[in-house]
Amino acid sequence: MIALEVLVRWAHLALSVLLVGTAVSILLAGRSDRPTALGWETRMLDACRGLVVLAFAAGVAVLLLQTALLEGRRAAALDPGALRRVLLETRGGHVWLVRHGLLLLLAAFLAVPLDVRRRVDWRAARGETALLGLAALGAGAAAGHAAALPGALAAIATDTVHVLAAGAWVGGLLPLALLLRRAGRAEGADARPLAVLAARRFSRLALACVLALVASGSVIAWAQVGSVAGLVGTAYGRLLLGKLALLAPILALAALNRRRHLPALGGEALRVGRPAMRRLARFVAGEAALALAVLGLAATMGFTPPAAHAEPDWPFAFRLSLETLADAPARAARALVGSQVLVLGAVAALAALVVRRARWPLLGGALVVLGAGAAIALPPLAIDAYPTTYVRPAVPYQAASIVAGAARYREHCAVCHGPTGAGDGPGGLRLARPPADLRAPHTGQHTAGDLFWWITRGIPRAGMPAFGATLAAEERWDVINYVRALSAAHAARNMGPTVEPDRAWLVAPDFAYAVGPTPARTLKDYRGRRVVLLTLYALPGSRPRLAQLADLYGSLTALGAEVVAVPTDAAPDALRRLGAAPRILFPVVTEGAADIVAAYRMLAAAPHAELLIDRQGYVRAIGRGAGLAAAEPNALLAEIQELNAEKVPAPAPEEHVH
Amino acid sequence: MRAWKAAALLNLALLLGVGWGYVFWGARTARLEQELRAARGAAAAGVERLWQVAGVVRAIVPEINVLVITHEDIPGYMPAMTMGFRASAPKIHEAVAVGDAVRFTLQGVPPNVVITAIEKTR
Repeated sequence: MIALEVLVRWAHLALSVLLVGTAVSILLAGRSDRPTALGWETRMLDACRGLVVLAFAAGVAVLLLQTALLEGRRAAALDPGALRRVLLETRGGHVWLVRHGLLLLLAAFLAVPLDVRRRVDWRAARGETALLGLAALGAGAAAGHAAALPGALAAIATDTVHVLAAGAWVGGLLPLALLLRRAGRAEGADARPLAVLAARRFSRLALACVLALVASGSVIAWAQVGSVAGLVGTAYGRLLLGKLALLAPILALAALNRRRHLPALGGEALRVGRPAMRRLARFVAGEAALALAVLGLAATMGFTPPAAHAEPDWPFAFRLSLETLADAPARAARALVGSQVLVLGAVAALAALVVRRARWPLLGGALVVLGAGAAIALPPLAIDAYPTTYVRPAVPYQAASIVAGAARYREHCAVCHGPTGAGDGPGGLRLARPPADLRAPHTGQHTAGDLFWWITRGIPRAGMPAFGATLAAEERWDVINYVRALSAAHAARNMGPTVEPDRAWLVAPDFAYAVGPTPARTLKDYRGRRVVLLTLYALPGSRPRLAQLADLYGSLTALGAEVVAVPTDAAPDALRRLGAAPRILFPVVTEGAADIVAAYRMLAAAPHAELLIDRQGYVRAIGRGAGLAAAEPNALLAEIQELNAEKVPAPAPEEHVH
Repeated sequence: MRAWKAAALLNLALLLGVGWGYVFWGARTARLEQELRAARGAAAAGVERLWQVAGVVRAIVPEINVLVITHEDIPGYMPAMTMGFRASAPKIHEAVAVGDAVRFTLQGVPPNVVITAIEKTR
């Protein structure tokens, strides 16, 4: 099924591109009355007619296949009802209708015999052919991956530029090769001036198209791939790499044609022009063949999920990370020296481009220096990596997941890693290598995907067992979220009740809560809107502080802060227990309190605790015991004002640990 | 027919098609927007409305006959929030206490709505 889909989509794309290229190259060559040129033009027009019909047929095949895939049954491909649904009710269907309507128009236009003896008529007729072909090809971008991106209009425009540039360049190669071949024959001498002119114009157009392709392709890759892991670890990224690998010889051929073969056409004598023209025709045809393969990869990418939405499968046993240099001065020094050597190499390479005389020795030297720089700078940055290193966690960093992970941790991990994650469990004493201290800052150097790999497969040489068979994938992610919370809690043990300006690092685990029968809300709902004072309280000790907060509530709201009070005993009748006086109007959690308390107690272990969470979702201050600056209510307002005054807020944390 | 005329006619037809599509979609969007405005306007236009809303009592202020309730979404009027509502009669609040989960009837011409009935749900 997949092979069939690749085949029909490739055929459809290649035929559409050839159609556009043929129409454009007729226009590019210009009108001529020479018999050979006229013969070529007639042949090309016939080709256009055939290509329109074939492209339409391939488009129908794509539609039938797509319908069968969407409906999930083969018979749907021939079911009129299913086809109508796909055509009229999906975006892809609408775009299909527009594109194939344009192709039909083009077929009709090409079928009508037109009188093109006058220059204006010739231009109008050939221009219209190219215009309709370009429109039919370009409109496809509106139904591609770009349409699913945020800011779809700009993305669709970029995709359109990409596909049109590809169409004009790649599609024009074969018609140009045919023209050159005809003109290169002994009897084609009359068309030679036209062929030379066409080749020169085409060369200029191709350069512009390649630049447009590289620019638009980079933008698209940034949006659809976005990371090295996505590039080397997903099907989409690998297809893109394949495309780039094929593009390299095409560009090399193109450069050769532009620098060597094209100037050779300029010779006055017949002797000089003809062999060069035939050689150019062969090379251009070679380019076209390679380009057809690129189109196949492009067509496959069209229905492969973009890398940004796929889980990358990291193919190497190492990755490069600047975090390895954090506490290692010797390694940092080596990396620094290496980077300076790399800069030197880059300068030499630039010089090689500018200095014409000593170009090759300079370039060779630059390459050697670059290689040496990489050899010095990169090894200290290397850190072990695994296939799942860049996998995104399947479970977000939430209180409920942390609590579930804590239970799994006590069951399976605490025996060696210790109840608090310090690596001091009784089971670890007899191991050759002591179990890792999970609270240590180095856990920040490992991605969640690294931890997932270790928990799933174990670390045989260190004696860590594998839990892939014991724990479900979600449970393993829960454990990872818990370990992250352990590490964060250890790092946050000295966080005090005053806000440190512009230092947001402690991510507040998300949680869901409800007050009475009202719909559930999450901490994330406040993102970008409110500062949240999360108050874990225990009656009766917290009563005076709650009364104080109730008094302050008007001022807090005015400053853009919300108080969320969580009873540490997680009583469902918490509101009733608080009583009628004082009037407490801020949310008091009656559902979901247990998870919130269990997760946030890790950060602030006290009967009464307050955590100030900024608008980006970071914990910025923790008050244990009496609460945040309980003695002086204005101090709390001052802290909130401090947060309000921050000019450059930290970027919001990702939903998942990383 | 001269070829340039044929091409020009074809392009004109295409332009008309694009223009028609633009106008058609524009008209549809405008109609939807108008319906939305009309629906919103109904709330503001002074029509008497009635809602059944679930919530939890947060405070009772008998002096001014107000109940403060954390309530769910009130469709077409306000999202879920904590808010004070006047009761239509002074005795209404006597059936409930702070912390009770309740279901209440809200009636009136927004924004002048009052609680006409309230009952505990558990």
